[in-house]
Amino acid sequence: MKGLTGFQPVEMDSSNKNTENTRSRRYVISKRLDRIFLELGHVFAFIARFFKEVWFPPYEIKEVINQCYEIGVRSLPLISLTGFIIGIVFTNQSRPSLADFGATALLPALISVAIVRAMGPLVTALIAAGRVASGIGAELGSMRVTEQIDAMEVSATNPFKFLVVSRVLASTLMIPALTMYTTLVSLLGGYLNVHQNEQTTLITFFYQVFEAITFLDIAASSVKSVIFGFTIGMVGCYKGYNSSKGTEGVGKAANSSVVTAMFLIFIEELLIMQVINALRVF
Amino acid sequence: MSTSENKRSIIVGVFVFLAIVILLAGIFTLGGQQKRFMESIAVRAVFDDVAGLRAGNNVWFSGVKIGTIKTINLYGDSQVEVVMNIEQRVQEYIRKDALARISSESFIGNKNIVIDGGTQQAPPVSDGDVLKAVNPLNTDDLMETLQKNNQNLVAITGDFKELSGKIVRGEGTVGAIMTDSTLANDLRTMVANLQQTSRSTVNASKALSQFTSKLNTPGGLANELMTDKEVFEQLKTSMAQLEEATASANEITENLRTTTNRLNNNNNAVGVLLNDQEFAKQLQSTMQNLETSTQKFDQNMQALQNNFLLRGFFRKQAKEEAKRLEQQPVQPVQQVQPQDTIRQQRQDTLQQKQ
Amino acid sequence: MKEINPKIDRTKKVIEITGLKKAFDDFEVLKGVDLELYKGENLVVLGRSGTGKSVLIKIISGLLKPDEGRVNVLGEEVDRLSPKELDALRLKIGFSFQNSALYDSMTVKENLEFPLIRHSKELTEKDRDRIIRFVLEAVGLSQAMNQMPSELSGGQRKRIGIARTLILKPEIMLYDEPTAGLDPITSIEINKLINEVQRRFNTSSIIITHDLTCAKAVGDRVVMLLDGQFQRQGTFEEVFDTDDERVKAFHNYNFIE
Repeated sequence: MKGLTGFQPVEMDSSNKNTENTRSRRYVISKRLDRIFLELGHVFAFIARFFKEVWFPPYEIKEVINQCYEIGVRSLPLISLTGFIIGIVFTNQSRPSLADFGATALLPALISVAIVRAMGPLVTALIAAGRVASGIGAELGSMRVTEQIDAMEVSATNPFKFLVVSRVLASTLMIPALTMYTTLVSLLGGYLNVHQNEQTTLITFFYQVFEAITFLDIAASSVKSVIFGFTIGMVGCYKGYNSSKGTEGVGKAANSSVVTAMFLIFIEELLIMQVINALRVF
Repeated sequence: MSTSENKRSIIVGVFVFLAIVILLAGIFTLGGQQKRFMESIAVRAVFDDVAGLRAGNNVWFSGVKIGTIKTINLYGDSQVEVVMNIEQRVQEYIRKDALARISSESFIGNKNIVIDGGTQQAPPVSDGDVLKAVNPLNTDDLMETLQKNNQNLVAITGDFKELSGKIVRGEGTVGAIMTDSTLANDLRTMVANLQQTSRSTVNASKALSQFTSKLNTPGGLANELMTDKEVFEQLKTSMAQLEEATASANEITENLRTTTNRLNNNNNAVGVLLNDQEFAKQLQSTMQNLETSTQKFDQNMQALQNNFLLRGFFRKQAKEEAKRLEQQPVQPVQQVQPQDTIRQQRQDTLQQKQ
Repeated sequence: MKEINPKIDRTKKVIEITGLKKAFDDFEVLKGVDLELYKGENLVVLGRSGTGKSVLIKIISGLLKPDEGRVNVLGEEVDRLSPKELDALRLKIGFSFQNSALYDSMTVKENLEFPLIRHSKELTEKDRDRIIRFVLEAVGLSQAMNQMPSELSGGQRKRIGIARTLILKPEIMLYDEPTAGLDPITSIEINKLINEVQRRFNTSSIIITHDLTCAKAVGDRVVMLLDGQFQRQGTFEEVFDTDDERVKAFHNYNFIE
């Protein structure tokens, strides 16, 4: 069989090449800062890619619906329960301070403002960050580690579209929907507590609830939850999609998804609050 | 598509649909409650001072919310024009002569506009009408009225003292009274004056009473005033005294009217008046009462002046006074005076007449 | 020992790589690699773990970009293609991953359908079913149609992974450690499958492995990757007929007697 391949066994001298295994690289600022900016660049490229790809076919509608089911419907029990409890607890804990003024009649208004403006979207987003962002991070992370993402890519299927776009879309759509449920359920929780203590009727309660808020509040709440939803999806996907190899990478992706998403949600809440307050003047 | 996928799609659809229903229900409830989507008419009112009213505040009618403030514009000479959107369905209940006033919804709540009745005779309001505005009770104005009244009272009391003194000393001046028709006329004018003053005093004390009762109720205006018990007490006493004074004044007026009638009646009036020492004494004691109460009121006014909250008002007044003095230095200003001065004055006048 | 496939067309290079270099951060993995793959040939790339074997086929499939050098696959320069052109090329390349990389949220059928639905839209559901049955039968796992990947053994997963690449009728097959983590018996079955795929689907293949049994069983030609360069190439015997300690060590480690 010798020579059949047309090659002679090749002996190459490579003994002196070992020294070149480590190349020294020049850094723009410093190794660490370069990494941070490189990461930042990756993040923006990732977000930009989402906005570039979301408009064009193929639309993975089936996957979007699947993810909507996973993110939205499956989160509903947890988020409803949390929202309900928060409604009760918040109402109960607010009562003493209002009772000092003899103004427990203002409880529905207080609950309304707190829940519609802040707690509804925020609680939903935080719970979803815990459930959804970590879920996405872990799922995509393990898909990255087990080369499923590569497998999609080499089968000429756009994994970004199938995995990232669908999940970010689903979470951007579902978090606002969940926020609606949370807000309603929290208000019901608040009502339950108010009804027990002040014997307020449902109609009176909701009359006062709507007395206290404006269209701006509802609009701001909706916009906010859309942004939160986008953030949760994006963070989960980015962390998972770019997770490092190994099972450790999966854990890291899931963990840092939650931490980053929650952190960003608070920052966004703060910024949006400022913007809304500026708008409120008009 | 398999059946399980179909099921998922349907569940997701229902989920999203219900979320949208919640959102829309919220929006429409809010819209319904804030009357943004109701057929409405615009009505205007011009106030001197809207006390922090804002666009979006409510309009109440007989305790029912019937609309919202649409816009607030400065208008004319430092006045404020308020445009209200009022539901069409209540249009017929609000008459063209209805009054609009600024009020507040609760202790710490928003300001609002309350529309009061109107009369059945007037036609219902229509779009673009201007309602008559009742301007909120102003502490400064109230004080000014009170003081003016007080000054009048002092002046009149002085006059009456002079007159009643003459009557009491009767004998010497009988001829004068009998013949002096000028005196009778003077007397009549004075009575008329007194009547008017007492009427305005009644009004003032009513206003004061309204003011104090407002102070008394929690959620009334002037939060600081309410907390100042001293001022409140002073205001209350001065009000009581004013009422008392007014009652006395009324009595005097009544008496005097009889007297003047008798004076005019040539038949036997003079005789009666001459012999009626009783009446003269009564008149004098009434006069004294009036005097003391006026004096007390003065003291209260003084106390009020010293109160830091109202100091601004009096200072302003003093300044104006000073200005006036500069312009007309000859004419003495009629001031609230201590009793001694009044007595002195009276004696002076008496001496002159005698 | 494998009989060399008589259908090899030595006049037709499906893959031609010259001067390929690739580094990760500071570590240079490939330091100037030259390689040709002829039509119908099974080429085994031998090497120790971490020597950049997987990097090589990932560059070929466009998953990684080369730092230097030309990578010509089926007449196209892989690193200069637009995403669309690259996708078109990838349809002609089957990639069997080390851990099979089955989509574990989908059943076997959905796994196989996944590329098919996206690339052969004209197919009816019946056609798709027929094709899926065909490839499943080809890898000998017809019964696994509705199972989840987690229910399958390592060997079965590998077969399904190969079936999933076959479903798009690739011209080139890239196997990343096809026998890694499998017991010897299953390894032999997989080796047989690789040869069968070569014959039946007329593919040209690059098989990355450190398993000499596998290399011996499937390789028409073997190259050895040491220190980021090909040190030896030829038939299995040719490659190991050397005094090079590193090559010998590799051989002896695999066949401890």
